[in-house]
Amino acid sequence: MKHYFILAFSACFFLHTQAQDSTKTSKEEEEDYSQYGDVEYVGSETKTYANAKINGLAPQRFASISWDAQGAHTLKFSDIGSYAPESTWTASEEGKVNYLGGLRLYANIPVVSSNKLLWQLGFNYAASNYQITGISPSSKIISVLDEKGLKTTGLFSTLYKPLDAKQFILVQAQADVSGDYSLSNPQSLRYSRYSAAALWGKRPHDRFQWGVGLSQTYRAGALNYIPVILYNKTSKSGKWGTEILFPARAHARYRFSTNSLLLVGYELEGNSYRLEDFSNSANSFELRRSELRPRLEFQKKLTGFFWVSAQAGVRLNYSFDGDNLPNGKDFFRGFTGQQPFAAFSSMTPAPYLNFGIHFVSP
Amino acid sequence: MKKFFYFFTAFCLFAFAPQSNEADKLIGVWEPSHGKARVKIDKIADKFYGKIVWLREPNDPASGLPKLDKNNPDESMKKVPLKGYRILKDFVYSGNKEWTEGTIYDPENGSTYSCVIKLKDDNTLDIRGYVGIKTFGRTDIWKRVQLKK
Repeated sequence: MKHYFILAFSACFFLHTQAQDSTKTSKEEEEDYSQYGDVEYVGSETKTYANAKINGLAPQRFASISWDAQGAHTLKFSDIGSYAPESTWTASEEGKVNYLGGLRLYANIPVVSSNKLLWQLGFNYAASNYQITGISPSSKIISVLDEKGLKTTGLFSTLYKPLDAKQFILVQAQADVSGDYSLSNPQSLRYSRYSAAALWGKRPHDRFQWGVGLSQTYRAGALNYIPVILYNKTSKSGKWGTEILFPARAHARYRFSTNSLLLVGYELEGNSYRLEDFSNSANSFELRRSELRPRLEFQKKLTGFFWVSAQAGVRLNYSFDGDNLPNGKDFFRGFTGQQPFAAFSSMTPAPYLNFGIHFVSP
Repeated sequence: MKKFFYFFTAFCLFAFAPQSNEADKLIGVWEPSHGKARVKIDKIADKFYGKIVWLREPNDPASGLPKLDKNNPDESMKKVPLKGYRILKDFVYSGNKEWTEGTIYDPENGSTYSCVIKLKDDNTLDIRGYVGIKTFGRTDIWKRVQLKK
């Protein structure tokens, strides 16, 4: 009987050993890779969707902290409420801006991120602090800018939906609160300004995507509706490329390596800033700020997924005129509307710098 | 005594019999959703590794030669052929049809990400590469393929 025990135990142990061996694949034998070209799906087939990115693009940012600074320039405004024709307005206040800048924060967090859908929620904050000298005695707007500065705080959401392997839809919506508010004296959400864009696009291959769409935007200062063109392309070598979302920004890209690149182009920044001192419950006085920023931007990997950037360029003023908005309700002037501004402005160009550190996306 | 013998034999068969090994369901050849490559996942010791075994475009369009890992930040790796390159490393089965503690390498940008693999069904994988925490990542769906019989 004792022999039966030994026999049974040995048989079981042998079976177990055999089972373990069947999972051993540690041998790194030379493989015939050509055999993997002729395969069949075991279950359902792979469904390919257009990727949101193309090869070679500057890394997308999950989170950023940057500091932006403009050099000396002169700022002038007409009287508020003069409604003078643009050709005849005269300056009633003036000052020399020695410094204009502040902190900028940005976060863009993926809520859903798969090959079928990309949905991100984001936050942005930008402070514009002024140091102005030579302010004329009768100054109103310039004094407020010097004392309080301007801020923008916003939330945005981006949805990227590939329709198939080549086509996609991109939708973005944003709400900004812009003005001379502070933490202790916040601005009512009633004066939020909303932007949105929707694009349909194609991604013919891994180095090219384009799209066309329409946007509601404040990048030109006041509310506007303008077409949008997306055009991102990378050369075969991967060295050269474009990153264009016209008219918001357009850059040519040169990549030194996988860890550093240079962008040359411009960005159009803008928003509508409410000034509390010249507003009341029946009226919102808002500066329609829009700046064109031709620039060079160098980006370099710092370590891991942290990158740094340095921008240098010129800030060209497109608009800093003021509008009175009855009950805070915005209106559409567009590029051809005849509605007069409540206050006109002029601003000389200024050099600017921006330095940032960024946590970037895979 | 005879009963005891049967009981002992049954015990041995149960204890040492080949167990249905959930972990090994990861082994096989898989195709990412972009369809441009196929990856063979093997088990080495107790960990799982995946290497590229097929490329739709095996040659670099610029040079016409077999694609190399030219985007690798490590200079010494830039001339290593992509075919045969291990892009999945060090995965450990953590139960519940999930493999963790591994990394995935993206040859298109030379970055290595933390990664978790989930078996959705026997022939479908959810592969999520991420940075730091899983929120900062992207999920891709891979399908199982087999050599044509």
